[in-house]
Amino acid sequence: MDFGLKNSNYKLAFLITFAVIAAFGCRGVEVSSPVLETREVNDDLGRTVRVPVKLDRAISLAPSLTEMIFAIGAGDRLVGVTTYCNYPAETASIEKIGDTQTPNIEKIIALRPQIVFVSTASQLEAFTKTLEDQGIAVYVSNAKSLDEVFQSLLHLGELFGTKGKAEELVSNLNGRADQAEHVHTLDEPTAERKNFTRVFVQISNDPLFTIGRDSFLTELVAQAGGISVTNDVPTAYPKLSKESAAAMNPDVIFLSDSEDNREASSVFKDSGAVKNGRVYRINADIISRPGPRLVDALEEIALRLEEKK
Amino acid sequence: MFKNRIAIWIILITALGLALILSVLIGSERLSPFDLSGTDRAIFFDIRLPRVLLGACVGASLAAAGASLQALLRNPLAEPYLLGVSNGAALGTMIAFVFFEQFFFARPVFAFAGAGLATFTVYQMARSRAGMNVERLVLSGVIVTTFLSSIIVLLTSLLDAARLRGFTFWLLGDLSQATMNGFYLTLGASVIGTIVLTSQARPLNLMMIGERDAMDFGVEVGRVRMIVFGIASLLVGTAVAASGSVGYVGLIVPHLVRLAIGSDNRLVVPFSAIAGAVFVVLADTLARTVIAPRELPVGAVTALIGAPMFIYLLRKN
Repeated sequence: MDFGLKNSNYKLAFLITFAVIAAFGCRGVEVSSPVLETREVNDDLGRTVRVPVKLDRAISLAPSLTEMIFAIGAGDRLVGVTTYCNYPAETASIEKIGDTQTPNIEKIIALRPQIVFVSTASQLEAFTKTLEDQGIAVYVSNAKSLDEVFQSLLHLGELFGTKGKAEELVSNLNGRADQAEHVHTLDEPTAERKNFTRVFVQISNDPLFTIGRDSFLTELVAQAGGISVTNDVPTAYPKLSKESAAAMNPDVIFLSDSEDNREASSVFKDSGAVKNGRVYRINADIISRPGPRLVDALEEIALRLEEKK
Repeated sequence: MFKNRIAIWIILITALGLALILSVLIGSERLSPFDLSGTDRAIFFDIRLPRVLLGACVGASLAAAGASLQALLRNPLAEPYLLGVSNGAALGTMIAFVFFEQFFFARPVFAFAGAGLATFTVYQMARSRAGMNVERLVLSGVIVTTFLSSIIVLLTSLLDAARLRGFTFWLLGDLSQATMNGFYLTLGASVIGTIVLTSQARPLNLMMIGERDAMDFGVEVGRVRMIVFGIASLLVGTAVAASGSVGYVGLIVPHLVRLAIGSDNRLVVPFSAIAGAVFVVLADTLARTVIAPRELPVGAVTALIGAPMFIYLLRKN
């Protein structure tokens, strides 16, 4: 056996591989090395992100962010969105990069975005690192209330250079929200909350999922003049004990509209809501996405709560 | 010995009675069972009682199936969940849900078929010319389980997101979807199944010595095998169709019963059924109450107790 030769073969192979990697690596750096002017901004998590001053290739990894980017007039800069992004209609013709939980990283890189918008950083740590290594900025925008949606819209306007349009939009949305709001905050003493319309939001029928303490909908229901009967339940979208649900006796039930969630759970058959016919379906997209259409949701909830009072 | 048996029957039935009573008295809502009115009445009769009763039947089915599979395969690690039988039933249930949603009976029927197919496959894979050993059986079970899991994942990916949420919970073993119809069906299966399996206990006892020896005693080994596989699949199928894959019940319950009374299947099978009912009823009481008003899937509770037990058994073997 001629180990010497083999050894040198390996060495040669290593050298070639190394050279290839180095060559491609250098090319990579060249391509992504910013000729463009950049600046530093802070995202919603307080991370410092370096972004080009002029953004014209962006990817959104959440339907709510896609809707916000369109709303502030920068929809034409989106080169990639998720398969869940179905609003506005223009999203249909934008490249799909997988869904929010399992985006296709190769596809994202192939689209050569300058920036990728994500709604949460928790599950995406490794992913974020990979993108940043490619010179792609990752911006976390995770609005968790109507006010934070307004803030995010202004930040996005700033980022995309559509500040004027964003400000106009936010003042418009703010006005509509003020019209609809009854401003009951959860800080008010329990005694004063007794007269509020008691609302149950049914996310799915069986198993019975609802909104909990940490969902933005809990606050939205309060803003609309009602009170979520599950506002003390930990987490954002808990699976609720049917016994507890039956004992809650809500005045109004909202169904997040989907094929298997068209009726109130049978555990509510004796509740005021079912007896008085106050069970309403709401478009699942507008109540599940903390985006500009959250104001539509607020208006619809407020309207329903006013009915038959 | 005879007196002992009667004593154990009495102890087990009393334990089941106490577990059922305790379990219907405890829940996320505080109810007074002697003063049930309006909503409390609905909570007690429409929600809590069906769930507790279904839990008992599911536990009985899984433990009886586990006990007899262990005797038949001469292996204390034979368990419906670990052998892939539960996953076969789960896949069957999902197929029924996707394609025949409107028929209530499609789910248990497909679950039964899925359980049967999985059992048969694992048995064929585990058998070798040298007979069947622990490693081969457990390995075959793992392979069939993971293969079926991947098909389940594929199916859930094809279903839309709203339906998927229900399934991921259900797959872990969840009794919250209990209905009286589901209970009647599972009750029928668990009672009849346990009686049939107990009727095969004597041949099973002989087969535990060795299949060849059993044949010498006039046992129709092939027939016993078919009955046990068939009935175990029926029991697991109906249990899974009603509550998803509640794991480890068929492993730890028969084991504890054997520790207490020895390995005579005429006792192990029926006693396992009753003890299995007690175990699942108590586990589900925990699942319903520990994080109330939220809930855990009961399968998470049984696995938390069962998995360490499995490791212990594997080491002891």
